[in-house]
Amino acid sequence: MATAGTEGLIAIGAGLAVGLAGLGSGLAEKDIGAAAVGAITENPSLFGRAMIFTVLPETIVIFGLVIAIMAIFVM
Amino acid sequence: MLLPESMSRIVIVGTKSRMEDAINAFYSEKSIHIIDHTTGDDGLSIGTTTEATSKASERLIKVRSMEKELGINKHTKTADIAVEEVQSRISAGDVEGVEDEVLKTVDARNDLTQKITELNSKKNTFELLKRLNELTLDQYSGYKSLAVLVGTTTDDASSVSIEDAEVFSSFDKKEGGVVAVFVKKENKEKAFAALADVGFTEIQVPACTEKVAANEACAKIDAEIEAANAEIEKCNQTLEELKEKYMSFLKGCDEELAIVVEKGSVPLRIAVSKYSYVIDAWVPTKKMDSVKANLERKLGDDIYVEFQETRGRKVEETEAQEPRFQNVPVKQNNGRIVCEYEYATSLVSVPKYNEIDPTFLIAIFLPLFFGFMVGDMGYAIPFIILGAYGLKKTKHKDWRAIALVLFFGGIWAFIFGLFFYGEMLGMHFVGGEWEAGTWVWHENHVAVGGTTVSWDWILGAQFPSWFTDAICSVGAWGQEDPNTFGVGVGKLEDVAFLLKLSVYIGVIHLLIGLVCALVNVTKQHGVKEAILEKGGIVFVFFGIIFLCLALTDMMFSKLELTGGTPLIELVLAIVCLVIGIVLNAKAEGGMQAIMSLPEVIGWILSYTRLAAITMSKAGMALAFNYIIFGMIMTTKATGNFQDGVEIVAFDPMGGVIMLIVGILLFCFLHLVVWTLGILSAGLHALRLQFVELMMRFYEGGGEAFAPLSEVRKKTFFSKNANNIKEV
Repeated sequence: MATAGTEGLIAIGAGLAVGLAGLGSGLAEKDIGAAAVGAITENPSLFGRAMIFTVLPETIVIFGLVIAIMAIFVM
Repeated sequence: MLLPESMSRIVIVGTKSRMEDAINAFYSEKSIHIIDHTTGDDGLSIGTTTEATSKASERLIKVRSMEKELGINKHTKTADIAVEEVQSRISAGDVEGVEDEVLKTVDARNDLTQKITELNSKKNTFELLKRLNELTLDQYSGYKSLAVLVGTTTDDASSVSIEDAEVFSSFDKKEGGVVAVFVKKENKEKAFAALADVGFTEIQVPACTEKVAANEACAKIDAEIEAANAEIEKCNQTLEELKEKYMSFLKGCDEELAIVVEKGSVPLRIAVSKYSYVIDAWVPTKKMDSVKANLERKLGDDIYVEFQETRGRKVEETEAQEPRFQNVPVKQNNGRIVCEYEYATSLVSVPKYNEIDPTFLIAIFLPLFFGFMVGDMGYAIPFIILGAYGLKKTKHKDWRAIALVLFFGGIWAFIFGLFFYGEMLGMHFVGGEWEAGTWVWHENHVAVGGTTVSWDWILGAQFPSWFTDAICSVGAWGQEDPNTFGVGVGKLEDVAFLLKLSVYIGVIHLLIGLVCALVNVTKQHGVKEAILEKGGIVFVFFGIIFLCLALTDMMFSKLELTGGTPLIELVLAIVCLVIGIVLNAKAEGGMQAIMSLPEVIGWILSYTRLAAITMSKAGMALAFNYIIFGMIMTTKATGNFQDGVEIVAFDPMGGVIMLIVGILLFCFLHLVVWTLGILSAGLHALRLQFVELMMRFYEGGGEAFAPLSEVRKKTFFSKNANNIKEV
C-alpha cells in the first residue's frame, strides 16, 4: 500500500496516464474526424462507417484510464 | 428469426397487350422485387416506355416547376386529395390550365423585375448628373459636330485644360468627381487623354429630349420604381392566392404523376419479345403462393408464373447461379418495435442475405447500455417523456431513431437509477445508516462537512425500509468490498465494482458477437469451416479471459499463481491460447494469430467506458449539487455531534433569495448534465454496438428489398380499396 508521501505521486501518475492518452486519442481522431465529415457531406449514407473509424482511437484513452485506475487501486 | 426473410425466385411471362394491367397488379402485391434484365443472346430485348408515360413525365416537369415558382415544398402542409379527382383533373387538362395561369403572373413579375433593374441603373446615372446642376438632360445629346464625354473621375477635373472645349465638373473628396466635357469631335481623343490624368471612367447618358433637370428626372424614376414595386406586390399576392388555390392539387399531381412515370418505366427493366414480356423477380417465400394466385386471378390466361428456386444461405448455392441471380435482396425480419432499430443497422450497412441481422441485438443492448450509463431516476423521466413525445409526433427517421433510444434508454435509466444506483439527480436517496439506534451520516456527507448530498438530508426525513430494501448495494452482490457505500451502488464510491461489472458485461456482449460469427460461417459454409475460421478467435478470447482472471487474482487479491484457483485459470488460459493461436495461424497466418492477442484485450477493456461515463456524469452532478446545497442554500446547526463534527441540517427557509437562486441554478446545471448525458451516453452506447459487437460478425453490403409499390402520402382512394382494374 502507498504511504502518505507517495499518494500524491500516484495521483499525478494517474492524471498523466489519462491526460496523455486522451491527447493521443484526440490527435488520432482529429484527422479521421475531418475526413469523415468530408465523406459524410459527399455521401450521407457513410455515416455509420465514418463513425466507426472516428471512434476507433478512443480505445487508447480507455487504456490510459485502466492504467490510472490500477495506479490508484493496486499500488 | 435473426436471419433476413427467405426469398424465392419466380419467372413471370405474359402477353404484351396486357402489360399495363399486369404492372398495376404487380404494384398491388407490394412484394415483387424485379431483377433487372440485361440483354444477352436470348433473343429478348429491353422494353420501352409507353406514350402515356412521356406525356406524364412532361406534365410532372411542369408541375414541379410550378411548385418551385409558388414555393410549395415537401414541408408545405396541404389537404389530402382523392386519386380519382387528381386523375380526372389531369386528363381534363387542368395541369396546363393552372400552368397558363401561373406562368402569366410569373412572366409579368419577371418583366417588372427587369424593368426595375433598368430604372435603377438609369437612376444611378442621373444621381451623378444631379451634381452638374447647370445642365439639363437634353443638353447631353443631339449634336452634329460635338462629342460629349460624361463620366466619373477620381481627382478634381476643374483644373484640366482641353483645347476648344467646355468642361463642367464637380468634385467631392468622399464621393469622387463628375465631369461633362463638350468638345469638337476631332479633339475627342485628346480630351480622353487629358481626362485620363484625373482617373476618368466614361458613363453612358440615356438619350433624353425633354428639357428637364437631373433631379426632376430622378424623382420621376422613383415614382416609376414605386409603381413597378406595387405591381410586383400585386403579382406576389396573385401568386399567393394561386398557391392557396392549387397547392393541394399540385402536390396530388406530383405524387400521382410520379407514380405513373415510375410504373411506366417498369418495361425498361424487363425483357420483351414481339408479343410477350418476361420478368425475373424475387418474392418473399411465405408470400409466393398468394402472389401466384392473385396474379393468375387478376390476369387469367394472360399471365404465367413459374417458381424457380428458394435460395438457401450457403455460399456455394449462390455461386452456382448466373451473376444477375447471385444477389438476393434482403428483407429484414423484425417485429414491430425491433424494426424501428433497423435504421441504426442501416447506418452501417444493410445486412447480407446469409448473415445474422444485428438489429435485434442493437434493440436490446443499445437502450440497456444507455440506461446503465445514465443510471439516474431524475434524468430518466424527461428522457421517457421526450422519447414518447418524439415517437408519437415525428415521422422523420433520424428523429424517430433518437426518440426510440431516449424512450427505451430512459426506461432502463429509470430502472437502474431506482433499483441499482438508488439515485435521483446525482444524489443518493439515502445518505446514512442506522447504527446502534442512531442515524449516522456517511463520513463524506455534507451534513458532517463532506461533499455528497442525499435526498433524505434535503427532505429531513428517513425513507421507509421497504423502499430502501428495494435498492441494491454492492454488499448485496456478495462482494465483501471495504469500499461498500450504503444503499445503492455509488458511482464514485464503488468504482472497482463498476469497472469489474463493465468488463463482465463486455465479455457477455462480445461472446454473443462471437457466437453470431460462428453461426454465420456455419450457415454459409458449414460447421468445420466455422471452427477453422472463427474457432481460433473464440479460443483466444477465452484464453485471454482466464489469463486476466489469473492476473487479477495475483495483483488485486494477492494470491500465489502456483496453486489453487489462479493455477487452474492459468492452465486453462494457456490451453485455450495455444489452441486458438494454432487455429488462427492455420486460418490467417502466424502474424495475424499473434496480433489477435492484444486485440482481444482491447475489445474487453473498451467496455470500461460504461463505468467511466457513469463516473464522469456522477462527478459533474456531485460538484453541482455541492455548489447548490453546500455553498448557496442555507443550512442550520442541529446541536448534535458525530465524530466530533457538528451535524448540519438543510434549511430552505433560511434565505428566500438564496433559495430562489439555488433552485434556478439547480435546474440549469442539471440541464447541462442531462444534455451531456444524451451525447456521451448515446454515442458511446452506439459505438459499443457498431464497433465492439458488429465487427465480430457483421459484414453487411446487402441490397435492400425494394418491391414494386405505390407510396401515397397526399393522395387517397375514395371509391375503391385499390385502383387495379379487376379482370
